[in-house]
Amino acid sequence: MLPQGLPSGSSAGIRLRSRDPSRGTSPAWQDSGSDSDPEPVIRPSAAGRGRRQKLAEWVKKRREAIMAHGGPKGPLPHVPKTMEMFRSEEMQLVQLIIPAEAAHETVSYLGDIGLLQFKDLNADKSAFQRTYANQVKRCAEMARKLRFFKDQIQKADLRISTGGTTEKELDLDELEGKLTELETELLEINSNSEKLRRSQSELVELKLVLEKAGSFFTQARDGAAVQQRELEDSVVASESMDSPLLLEQEMQTDPSKVVRLGFVTGLVPKAKSITFERVLFRATRGNMFLRLAPVETPVIDPQTGEKVEKCVFVVFFAGERARTKILKICEAFGANRYPFPEDPAKQRQMMAEVTARLSELETTIEAGDRHRDNVLTSTAYQIETWTALVRRKKAIYHTLNMLSIDVTRKCLVAEGWCPVFAKPKIQDALQRAAVDSSSTVSTIFQPINTHEMPPTFYQTNKFTSCFQEIVEAYGVARYQEANPAPFTVISFPFLFAIMFGDWGHGILMLLASLYLVGNEKKWMGKKLGDIMEMAFGGRYCILLMSIFSIYTGLIYNEFFSVNFPIFSKGAYTCRTPDCSDETTAGLVKTGATYPFGVDPAWHGSRTELPFLNSLKMKMSILLGVTQMFTGIFLSYFNAKYFDLPLNIWFEFIPQVVFLGSLFGYLSLLIIIKWISGSTADLYHVMIYMFLSPGTVEAENQLFWGQAFVQVILLLAAFIAVPMMLLPKPLALRRQHLASLQHGAYGVLGGSDAEEHGHGEDGEHAHGDHDEFDFSEILVHQMIHTIEFVLGAVSNTASYLRLWALSLAHAELSAVFYERVLLFAVGTGNPVAIVIGFIVFMFATLGVLMVMETLSAFLHALRLHWVEFMNKFYMGDGYKFIPFNFSHLEEDE
Amino acid sequence: MGFFITTVIFLLAGFVGIGLFRVLYNKGPETNLLHYTWVITATICCWLTWAIVYMAQMHPLVVPILKAEGE
Repeated sequence: MLPQGLPSGSSAGIRLRSRDPSRGTSPAWQDSGSDSDPEPVIRPSAAGRGRRQKLAEWVKKRREAIMAHGGPKGPLPHVPKTMEMFRSEEMQLVQLIIPAEAAHETVSYLGDIGLLQFKDLNADKSAFQRTYANQVKRCAEMARKLRFFKDQIQKADLRISTGGTTEKELDLDELEGKLTELETELLEINSNSEKLRRSQSELVELKLVLEKAGSFFTQARDGAAVQQRELEDSVVASESMDSPLLLEQEMQTDPSKVVRLGFVTGLVPKAKSITFERVLFRATRGNMFLRLAPVETPVIDPQTGEKVEKCVFVVFFAGERARTKILKICEAFGANRYPFPEDPAKQRQMMAEVTARLSELETTIEAGDRHRDNVLTSTAYQIETWTALVRRKKAIYHTLNMLSIDVTRKCLVAEGWCPVFAKPKIQDALQRAAVDSSSTVSTIFQPINTHEMPPTFYQTNKFTSCFQEIVEAYGVARYQEANPAPFTVISFPFLFAIMFGDWGHGILMLLASLYLVGNEKKWMGKKLGDIMEMAFGGRYCILLMSIFSIYTGLIYNEFFSVNFPIFSKGAYTCRTPDCSDETTAGLVKTGATYPFGVDPAWHGSRTELPFLNSLKMKMSILLGVTQMFTGIFLSYFNAKYFDLPLNIWFEFIPQVVFLGSLFGYLSLLIIIKWISGSTADLYHVMIYMFLSPGTVEAENQLFWGQAFVQVILLLAAFIAVPMMLLPKPLALRRQHLASLQHGAYGVLGGSDAEEHGHGEDGEHAHGDHDEFDFSEILVHQMIHTIEFVLGAVSNTASYLRLWALSLAHAELSAVFYERVLLFAVGTGNPVAIVIGFIVFMFATLGVLMVMETLSAFLHALRLHWVEFMNKFYMGDGYKFIPFNFSHLEEDE
Repeated sequence: MGFFITTVIFLLAGFVGIGLFRVLYNKGPETNLLHYTWVITATICCWLTWAIVYMAQMHPLVVPILKAEGE
């Protein structure tokens, strides 16, 4: 996985000597880095004063060493080995002293490697007080502009092409200038085109008003003309009768007395037109006349730019007061008014004008759009590169803000965690950065000793990551404690399959998981939606789950609840040749035991359920006890690794004895009973082991000396409880008192590196000179003991969920098969068969494949988190989050 | 096939699994150890279920009683 020979820096290439790669298995992190390093190890306490002097000395020394060495040649020194998931990687707190001119390059190169987690050395400063706050702000501003461009590009339905990196790499200032220029250009184009569009839609509306209202007027005028003619005719007729109608004459002859009707034209949204009419009617007390004509196609409203269904209206009214009222109402209803000349000639002229201006505007808008599209297309080629660049720069400046600046401002000091195996890689990157930024001095890289707990880091791949996530959903492991994930990879799908044992369902699931795995390349790193993303993330887990389900399905002899005698004909035959009593006394076992799984003879028999109940219940206990013992043994490896003998003698061993003498013994009894065929009642045996020790009833005797063994086991269990409770706190107290007596050394010497880290439990990792509260430790141990003793019973009982769920799965699939599919087939009606099959299919998919899968998954999860992991897992660590450019995109 | 023969078969299957990982997917000692852990855990799990079911049927205390017609 690690490259053996890294590319070395070219001309001025200088290589730091890799530090102590052999220290791969030092037990505790406290004392790592204390052996003979060639560089001066600067401790945090002494860091301030002598640093620069030591630095200068060291640089001089190193130059000499390089001169003697003759530059970089040959492969890198031995790469330290990794922990491969059994424990988290060994970490080292390191300090980097970076020359100011190389800082940017250095951080950038480290981000490419992505194996260093920077510590925030300016935690007390707010975001604005930091050195590079300005640059971060600029980057944020640029990111905003880029988002704006992206938005515009998407609005314009243009495609963002990736990988259009034709231009040379821009630096930040150039890019900033370019982006600002582009933004102003785009904004100007946008505002212009908006103005144009507004006047265009205004003109369109005006045109509509001219058309529609024009038609009212011509209609009205035609009607009026006809009336006039009739009137004139009647007048002519009546003249001869020599009785002039005074009123008519006056009306015709004295136009000044005619009340002039005013009118307003415009457009009102169709949805509002009815209320508009009503309000107008009320406001003018009915003294108005409204004509509405709906426009066939929705028009663009000039104010909002949205498409609205509208009506053209003409309101006639009398008087100036009515006019002001109507104008106000129009305003309130968002009705746009347009001037409308009464004179038909003027109308025509206006119409022609409007049409001419519209076509003119259209060409202008088109030209503007073309220009805008051109700008956006050229941006679309670059935007991905620019976005990536800005993101990188922002991350770099953000990281630089976490470094503390030396007083002289000549160099920056960084601190951070890195895995020990990555040290050569990091040093190489530092070299390259120094060379590429043509810095005269290269970065100084040195380990620091600390009592702080390092972060937890596992190197996972696409297969193991989902299992690691299952574990970390409970809690991130304490640094270097035993990781349950290597076992979870197998035991999790296995326990799932115990509850989901059906090889038909297993095959369906296998197909689904193969589909997910097959589309891996296509879907990797894409957004798939919540549920799909979850399934895709756990695709390898689902794959293993399905494989184990097929296996346990074969063991349970279940295939959609159909019987398949695969491995032999079965061990059971009739008692008599005519099989007369097969339904009363039952079959009898004549042949050899069915070689693999449950005998097919049980299938559909009356005694199937009692047999499977007993089998699956005992199986749950056996599997549970096995898994719990695995957990306890992992606690042994933890104690061994952290060198805590107290935990071995007074936690691990009593726990094994306690669990072994109760539930280990029960498991043994179950096996003995099966092998011997005894009819002993195991409940009875277990209960009377406590109630009347030393006596065993004759019919419950499973092996010789059972009573004696039970007494011994009972005694062992009773002794184990105080052994778990008392000795460890007492021993810790004695150690504490002993260390107090020669504690004066530590204070005078001022050297904290030599302090003994062992002899304390992990909870008190910060040294015994802090404070020692005996009562607290005792209470803690008491809780731990009570939890274990009660947990031994309740956890074993908890594994019975395996029995319940696997039985429920088998019964449900039997119900769907017999009551739905077989019933439908039994009717003989083809329609019923089709319906029955469809119901069966949906029940199988919906209930068994989805709901049962989820419930079995959850129960397997719980068995791992609670019953398995509480035996050894602390889970109070924190995750290693390196500064890595490849994680940047996920943030947005 | 008796209990011990099948057990031996499981054992062999485990060794074959380890061998396959060793030959076809050799990734260095630490990673190999991880892969062996998986094979061993899987073999033990599978053997355990099989053994439990097998042993439970060696001396059955109840026998299959078939259902009568129409039951």
